[in-house]
Amino acid sequence: MEKEKQVMEKPKPEKTQYHSTVNRRGFMKMLGFGAGAVGLGATNLHASGFKDLDEMKSSPLAERKLPFWVKEVDEPTVKIDWDNMERFHGPENTLFNPASWENQKDYFDIYNRNIASTKKNVQDNVPGLSLRDRALADANCWGWGGRSGADLAAPWTGADVKANPQWEHPTMFYTPEQYGVPKYEGTPEENSKMLRTAGRIMGAADMGFVKLDERTKKLLWGKIQFENVEKGYADKSKNKFVLPDKDLWAVCSVIPQSLWMQQYTERMSWASSNTMSYSRANIYANRLSVFLRGLGYQSYGGDTESVGRLVGFGVMSGMGEYGRAGILVSPQYGTNIRTVMVMITDLPLAVTKPIDAGITKFCRACKKCGEMCPSGAISMEDEPFWGGEAACQAKGIKGWYMDSKKCYSYMLGGEPDCSRCQSVCPFSKFDEAVMHDLIRMSIAKAPALNGLIRKMDDVFGYGKEPDLSKTPWDLDPMDIPLFGLDESRS
Amino acid sequence: MRLASWNWFWYVLIGFVMGGGLVYLQVKLKEMDLKLIWYEWTLTIVGVLLFMFLGQTFVASFGEFEPRAAWMSLLFMGLPIVLIGAVVYRSVQKRTRQKV
Repeated sequence: MEKEKQVMEKPKPEKTQYHSTVNRRGFMKMLGFGAGAVGLGATNLHASGFKDLDEMKSSPLAERKLPFWVKEVDEPTVKIDWDNMERFHGPENTLFNPASWENQKDYFDIYNRNIASTKKNVQDNVPGLSLRDRALADANCWGWGGRSGADLAAPWTGADVKANPQWEHPTMFYTPEQYGVPKYEGTPEENSKMLRTAGRIMGAADMGFVKLDERTKKLLWGKIQFENVEKGYADKSKNKFVLPDKDLWAVCSVIPQSLWMQQYTERMSWASSNTMSYSRANIYANRLSVFLRGLGYQSYGGDTESVGRLVGFGVMSGMGEYGRAGILVSPQYGTNIRTVMVMITDLPLAVTKPIDAGITKFCRACKKCGEMCPSGAISMEDEPFWGGEAACQAKGIKGWYMDSKKCYSYMLGGEPDCSRCQSVCPFSKFDEAVMHDLIRMSIAKAPALNGLIRKMDDVFGYGKEPDLSKTPWDLDPMDIPLFGLDESRS
Repeated sequence: MRLASWNWFWYVLIGFVMGGGLVYLQVKLKEMDLKLIWYEWTLTIVGVLLFMFLGQTFVASFGEFEPRAAWMSLLFMGLPIVLIGAVVYRSVQKRTRQKV
């Protein structure tokens, strides 16, 4: 008993334990080996079903993995005097608030100096501080958080921004007029390149541009009208949305979704991959809208559904091809995109053409989404057909019209939220293996092999229902890609 | 290319292994007084490229959470590699015997 007490009272040595590191790639590979029944011991890393908290804490998964040269210590490396430590009042006491300054004139001198120098840099077109740089900065800094209004999506006429004079940048949300410069001018090609660059930074995987003409205007919602006005407007009480009758372009942005999450259970893939991308699309749309505003141009839409038929615009802008399941299939991302976010602008853009990567042709032979669809909603016809008779559909394309009621009833009728047609599509693959690119090349250039490719997709085990006992909750958090987006496709 | 990642290490390692293997093969062939005919070289190079492709597919498939794809690629690419190796070996062996 005495001995036991001594052991218990023995002071704990300072923890200086170094951690071993398994990076995400290494971990996933080991995980795969484990699943492949190779006894590497790695299976322990993702073993789930702990009996109690102690067991879970003792698991390697419960530890935060640090590089081996970083050690945990009991006290931080900065000296802290806890006896004299004060609680800071709050952010209003920081110098961002003019009231925090003993002499507010000092604050406003800096504030006004900032405005003067920012304006001069914009007027002098200083690289990195020019109009488009400021527009991008505004979009990224405050395109989401700083705008007024509580809705997730931007209003019809673009992000309803409201500058905060007590914020760190006094020229927040300035327009070209406020800077004393004309709106940004570039050739359509330069504008497209600029938008692509900004889009990648703000969250678009790819971007295409469609000029609105008599044909493509039919892809807009029927409630959208054109009027001879300088600027569009919306009258929500009458469900009336107006665009100015002038040259306009549709900016089509591909918002990627997490294939990494998509592979898990149906519920998780729908909620955490598919719909998560819609929320990112809304944030992105606000940013894009603020960017265009900062350049001196109009933007319309911004909600993921506020402009028109997203698959239609996706097809016309070359972001993908029409697939059997009625969804867009991208040559790079497969069906693993949510969504093609469409915004209308008067910034002149160089249009991108539709593409042919052999995808629609492949859909004729594949039918995997149709076979795997638990509701039986996806057409199994060999050839696409003219349809659109149902009220929830529209005529005009020769495609594989699905039985939407079956899909809707299954997806939202109490069964697991479903996005299986996306998960099983042979085009939805990680980009780790070079093999996938060769297959894509073959699909584009040698369609005679499409049937064989579909068969091999099954033989290789792609698109099989995942092991439901293995979910992200059973993995090391640091092995999960940030935002769930896959490194191999960024 | 992300310089901060450790991918470069694998490229360097593969480069050393391939370079070392080539030097070793040349030395061995000289030692044994053997000369490979053009189609034997071609088949050897095809076999090595296929082997590298198999290695990439095998490892990458586990990284993609697709263990079945990894094992299937081993089967579908491993067999041709073995066949190519056997053909080259038999061809060299046959010539050596004729020489003797």
